Amino acid sequence: MISLSSYLFISFTLFIAGIAVMIARKNIIAMMLGIELILNSAALNFAAYTRFINNNLEGHLMSLFIIVIAAAEAAVGLAIVIRFFQIKETIHIDDAAQLQS
Amino acid sequence: MFENILFFLSAALCIIGAAGVVFSKNLMHACVLLLASLFGIAGLYAVIGADFLAAAQLVIYAGGVVILMLFAVMLTGGSSDNSNKFGIEKIPAMGSTKTYVIAGFSVLVISFTVLKLMANFMKSYTKGELPAFSSTVEKIGTLLVTDHVLAFEISSILLLGALVGAAVIARPRKG
Amino acid sequence: MSPSINDYLNQFEAHRKAIGFISEVLGFDASGLVTFLVFAVASFLVVNVMALVGGLGTYAERKISADIQLRQGPNRVGPYGLLQFLADGVKMLMKEDIFPAQADRTLFNLAPLLALIGVFATLAVLPFSSGFTLTNLNIGVFYLIGVSSLVGVAVFLGGYSANSKWSMLGGMRGASQIISYEVPVTITILSIVLISGGMSFGSFVETQGGFPHQWYILHNPFTFIAFFVFFIGMLAETNRAPFDLPEAESELVSGYHTEYTGMRFGLFALAEYIEVFVLCGVAAAAFLGGYKVPFDLGNGVVFVEKLGLPAIIGKNIGQLLQMGSFLTKTLFLYYVVIWVRWTFPRIRVDQVMTICWKYLTPIALFNLVGITLWVFAFDGQSIWEVLSHLGGGAHGGGH
Repeated sequence: MISLSSYLFISFTLFIAGIAVMIARKNIIAMMLGIELILNSAALNFAAYTRFINNNLEGHLMSLFIIVIAAAEAAVGLAIVIRFFQIKETIHIDDAAQLQS
Repeated sequence: MFENILFFLSAALCIIGAAGVVFSKNLMHACVLLLASLFGIAGLYAVIGADFLAAAQLVIYAGGVVILMLFAVMLTGGSSDNSNKFGIEKIPAMGSTKTYVIAGFSVLVISFTVLKLMANFMKSYTKGELPAFSSTVEKIGTLLVTDHVLAFEISSILLLGALVGAAVIARPRKG
Repeated sequence: MSPSINDYLNQFEAHRKAIGFISEVLGFDASGLVTFLVFAVASFLVVNVMALVGGLGTYAERKISADIQLRQGPNRVGPYGLLQFLADGVKMLMKEDIFPAQADRTLFNLAPLLALIGVFATLAVLPFSSGFTLTNLNIGVFYLIGVSSLVGVAVFLGGYSANSKWSMLGGMRGASQIISYEVPVTITILSIVLISGGMSFGSFVETQGGFPHQWYILHNPFTFIAFFVFFIGMLAETNRAPFDLPEAESELVSGYHTEYTGMRFGLFALAEYIEVFVLCGVAAAAFLGGYKVPFDLGNGVVFVEKLGLPAIIGKNIGQLLQMGSFLTKTLFLYYVVIWVRWTFPRIRVDQVMTICWKYLTPIALFNLVGITLWVFAFDGQSIWEVLSHLGGGAHGGGH
């Protein structure tokens, strides 16, 4: 039961859920939840491959770096969201269109 | 046996959490469900013997990222009227029928592509014997400071930059 | 996987015989079943005893505060008022269960449970004695930090979901305080990991000795500072005074559990007292020698060889001694925590953050570097070994 296919399926489900969240939501924080899901599905894939294919821990390191990047991304992203809210008083993604006239 | 039970529980938690994040109407509930999903992933890591990874997942996500998310929800939610001066609602809903239809179509397309890509691999994969569990902490430590030392250092600089950057961006400005 | 209570039992002839007997009766290999039962019974025991400790914690808090303030404290229910916590529990169960009208019901229900789950999950790795640890996980302390951060989420959700201003402020304060103080606490524990060379509580304790000079608190000057950093951080992480800003009675009514009534409030209180016990246990295991007993009485070899007792009795006496040692140290720290609460005034919110980010974190980082250099320079020896080498020449290092 614990096989590569099941892990890939779970990771696939997470990825799809993340994509759906990112496209369907108009709330920046909710979209960041989707990003977390996608990053986690990638990390899970790395760990599963390294366990079931070559078993040499490189995938664990990749997953660790992904977790690090996710943490950094969350910190900076949420800081930007809070700053954006202070300036524009909104967290609607359509309102973040300064470059578009 | 016990590993199978743990696997089922973790997988169920993970998938139910992810589905909850997609379909929840409440941002706070979505955050908590994301936490459940991430705990499920930690359990999945534990099943395949990635013990250090599982603990790191718990520490960083439960202790850090999810609380940050909750904080951001609180700090951006404290307004009295619902639309701003541009006429756009301040706290947008979690999605409308239109966005969900678009997301559904994109998900269908992407999932067909991904499944097509994976099918090849699924067929060629033969299940071998799993090696016995052994602690990964020392090995990961050794790998981090030998083979992957550059990535390790760069990620530490990245984290420092993210810390300083977040503090600078989010600080309240006078005037 | 990792050494646990089951491995400890497996070394006895009687236990193996019992497994063989059960296998014969049932007609299949019963070792898995027995393992499961052993874990189930041990977990049941630990959780219930810990709930009792949490209950007695409230009693101890009242009694000690009464002592400090020259009062009587609870003295009516049971001998010396010992059963006061049961009376309180019954009172809480009987109370009306109130939901605030605007509350987020799901999260309102979930928050106390999350706090309790986070605390009870940490009990799995707490080293009561060398045999009676539920599991000596090889990432024990890392797991403990991760799981106990659920309490922060619970505090935050409890504050948010009640939809009251007091609760909200308390929850925000609690969450920011908990995630801030996780930084110095984790760095301090990391420095102990450096010395002991392992992340499990087993390796923490086994590399220390029974006597105070073999403990990590007196290992070198940096660990001496590290202990106090850890202790202060621990007070803040468990929301104890002088860091009890999340539930500051005089400012915020009762903080994040203002709107909680009945047993939900009871679960929050229970979680807090058990978390104090757990973190005191971590401090005892990491700095004060944990379950180690002087003269190696803990492994029970002396009782078997000198007194001629059978192995199973000798070993178990050793385990009891170890458990006594661990509990003595932990309960002493528990006493200190309560003592601190009733002697220091509460500090301000900005002072909490100042202490964390301007003092404790730099000190913890300095300690980490210092301990790294110490371990590198003196090859992991403690200051006493280094001194005895200096004083006694080549034949030093008696310990």
